Amino acid sequence: MVNSENWDWECKEKLVADTTKWKSQFEDVWEPYISPDGEKIASIVKVGEGEFNIAVNKETWGEEPFEKIWYPRFSPDGRLTALITKEMEWTMAVDGKTWEEMYEYIWDTKFSADGKVIAATTKQDGVYGITVNEKTWKCPVNLQSIASYVISPDGKTLAAIAQTVRLAEADLDGFLKGTWSVVVNGKPWKDNYVDIYGLTISDDGKNIAAEYRAAICEYGIVVNETPWNEKFGCTWEPVFHPTNSDEITTPVRQGGQWFLATNGRIVWDTGFVSLLYQTYSPDGSKIAAAVAPQFAKWTVAVDGQPWSTTFNECLLKPCFSPDGRKVAVIAKDSGNWLLVVDGTVLGDGYENIWPPAFSPNGDKVIYKVEKNGKYAVAVNGKVKGKEYEALWNPVVSPDGTKVMICGVEAGKYYRKVVLLSDL
Amino acid sequence: MKPTIVKREPVVDDALDHCATKLTPEQIEKVVNEVIDKETGGRLWTYVNTCIHCGLCAEACQWYLSNDRDVSYAPVTKVKDTIWVMLEKKGKVDAAFIKRCSEIAHTECNVCRRCGMYCPFGIDIAYMMMVVRRICAKLEMVPLYLQDTVHSHAATMNQMWVKPDEWIDTLQWQEEEGQGYVPSARLPLEKEGAEVMYSVIGPEPKFLAQLLGNITAIMKVANIDWTMPATAGWDNSNMAMYSGDFEVMARVERLHYETAQRLKVKKIVMGECGHAFRGAEYDGPTWMGWMRPPIPLIHAISFYYDLIISGRIKIAKKAEGPITVQDPCNVIRNAGLGKKLRYIMNAVCENFVDVTPNDRHNYCCNAGGGVINVGPPWKKKRVQGNRIKAEQFKRTGAHTIVTPCHNCHSGIEDIVNTYKLGMHVKFFSEILIEAMEIPEDLQP
Ligand code: SF4
Ligand code: SF4
Repeated sequence: MVNSENWDWECKEKLVADTTKWKSQFEDVWEPYISPDGEKIASIVKVGEGEFNIAVNKETWGEEPFEKIWYPRFSPDGRLTALITKEMEWTMAVDGKTWEEMYEYIWDTKFSADGKVIAATTKQDGVYGITVNEKTWKCPVNLQSIASYVISPDGKTLAAIAQTVRLAEADLDGFLKGTWSVVVNGKPWKDNYVDIYGLTISDDGKNIAAEYRAAICEYGIVVNETPWNEKFGCTWEPVFHPTNSDEITTPVRQGGQWFLATNGRIVWDTGFVSLLYQTYSPDGSKIAAAVAPQFAKWTVAVDGQPWSTTFNECLLKPCFSPDGRKVAVIAKDSGNWLLVVDGTVLGDGYENIWPPAFSPNGDKVIYKVEKNGKYAVAVNGKVKGKEYEALWNPVVSPDGTKVMICGVEAGKYYRKVVLLSDL
Repeated sequence: MKPTIVKREPVVDDALDHCATKLTPEQIEKVVNEVIDKETGGRLWTYVNTCIHCGLCAEACQWYLSNDRDVSYAPVTKVKDTIWVMLEKKGKVDAAFIKRCSEIAHTECNVCRRCGMYCPFGIDIAYMMMVVRRICAKLEMVPLYLQDTVHSHAATMNQMWVKPDEWIDTLQWQEEEGQGYVPSARLPLEKEGAEVMYSVIGPEPKFLAQLLGNITAIMKVANIDWTMPATAGWDNSNMAMYSGDFEVMARVERLHYETAQRLKVKKIVMGECGHAFRGAEYDGPTWMGWMRPPIPLIHAISFYYDLIISGRIKIAKKAEGPITVQDPCNVIRNAGLGKKLRYIMNAVCENFVDVTPNDRHNYCCNAGGGVINVGPPWKKKRVQGNRIKAEQFKRTGAHTIVTPCHNCHSGIEDIVNTYKLGMHVKFFSEILIEAMEIPEDLQP
């Protein structure tokens, strides 16, 4: 986990960097990223023809530019990573220092929860792999492609959806025999599948599950290489119980309706036109999901019971308050994005709403909104404080009393800490 | 009812030929009845019971007209020889019948919906052909190359087996190409909060990468805050919709929209493709339970219309000589963009020569509806099945045909070559990039 206890929760306002200076200093400045603690702001900058660098606060990453840089991402422990190229080869750079190995290609940087593990997908001599802290998987088969991968919170388990068998052009039989599998820390599962989707690792890192396609229009869930006995017309991504990783829940389609199934058994007896984004409460005692009881009428169902309010466009993933008593969701209705808590719409509609954070006791929900091209922090349906040109998601302090708000005003990047009670 | 006389040159399609040998009568009966009972409803029954077999729809179909009014190509015959029999025999049909159903629905009908406009009752024959396709898909009776394309969608979430690194690498390369027109142009990857996510279809990175360079320059000149994803979800096309594999169709559409939601964009602008618009605007959202796309979707025709009419893009030098256009069924007949298409054609062409019939009444390119994706074995029949399109273009005297759709583009190229029309086939953006004014401060 990101250890936010050591962050500066005392300083009320810091001008971290005047990014207006970057505009005159460099030929071009790309969109900024900030470190999790808000103390650093970084942008890729163009310093000459085919020459790029990264500006971080008042510095750049050394004197020597790179041919290309992209995908700047801060690790949870505050190190800045980016993917760079030198003489047509690619590698990872961490705080300006490049990995020793160069690759044909590198992409999709991911981190363990504490940021100690930095991983990415790499391709070398036409073979795909995952590179973890500079070490590339040694896989007994040459991986033909990697569609995506996941990393456990402790960073010890990495699993990828990978093509393990070469497929000739238009080889339908070969495809249906299975060319895709799950590769865990470099070791492929024993079986291949037609397709694999929705790969996930339990929070304790012990169990791995995915959707698999058994045949045209036949889908199931496979957990640690063992498929559920039940098959379905379709499935969506499974989710592990947060504290009991032997339990896994997924939406399944039967007879043209969607149901929720746990470990293969239907647990919500109501079928829906659509069912997505099932989410466990922090203690795992409840499940909320986005559902459409009727066509184009979307709402949240908690333990199978839909709210009475519905929305005519769509819903994003619901989230529980830390105590599990409340559920918030971002909904879209008639072109407006709305923040909804337990079926009640809070405040106005916005052009955009970002995932909310709850106060520890769940009485306040804090989130970033966009209106007229400007950004602001909203609390329980009301905009609080200034508008920003750029703003990042507000972060609640570990003791639940303060909120960190990081944003850009008139080109200047500020990090602010406010009392939750003042919001 | 009299059997239809069907005269066709034999075509070898390994998938249909092979899968037909594996089908059992029980399996066929089960799937036919399952689809008819559980996946259709009043709509199918109304169409079937309303049709008076008058044959007025025949004159609408380019297959019928181009094959010297061979009745076996008439829309109503396509229904009579497929779904009527299945209903009448309650699914007790054999493998040879199902194979013929796939040939009819996948290789002899573009689900273009022209015939529905000529039917006095507005019967949507294309819908019934989609039901036939669904049955065939569940029986794995899909032509080889179309099924392979659907497998690509299922495995990679794009149409052309493009691997994740190939996608990103191509965008980075095309950014440099775009800078050939406008040095300060950028193709911003993964820019959260941009106004627009631009999405394309699989063939662009695979065969037509220059279109990505073009859009990079166009976006800079128009000063659009835009992005493209560096993950799967970039491909807006959907051949699974056309094979009848609606589960794969939905997964592809869902990812497309969730990618836009993840990037927090206001809208998706899509490149020049008709079927992709249908899948992303109608069929995909409907299956997902969305009334409309959860992020608004703008077709390239509407986007360019907005840019030109608002003056965000000015035309410096119109393209010379007679230029004509192909109206893609899915965005013109089925989404009403015909007037906008004519506006932008006139804006960039010195001498735009329209086709007749045009707009909503235009003939299908005969490649759409997944028909070009059934591949080389069926190409000869497809091109012969659109002689009237060749004649239509010939009458315009144009040197270039603009096709704001990928399927139209490939299909029309085949027609131009086969009928020796000696015309160029271009996307609208290819004309625009040459015609638009690049403001002085952006010039190389
Ligand atoms: S190709 Fe078009 S006009 Fe012909 S039958 Fe199919 S939908 Fe009707
Ligand atoms: S025009 Fe309509 S009623 Fe007449 S045959 Fe065709 S579908 Fe049937």
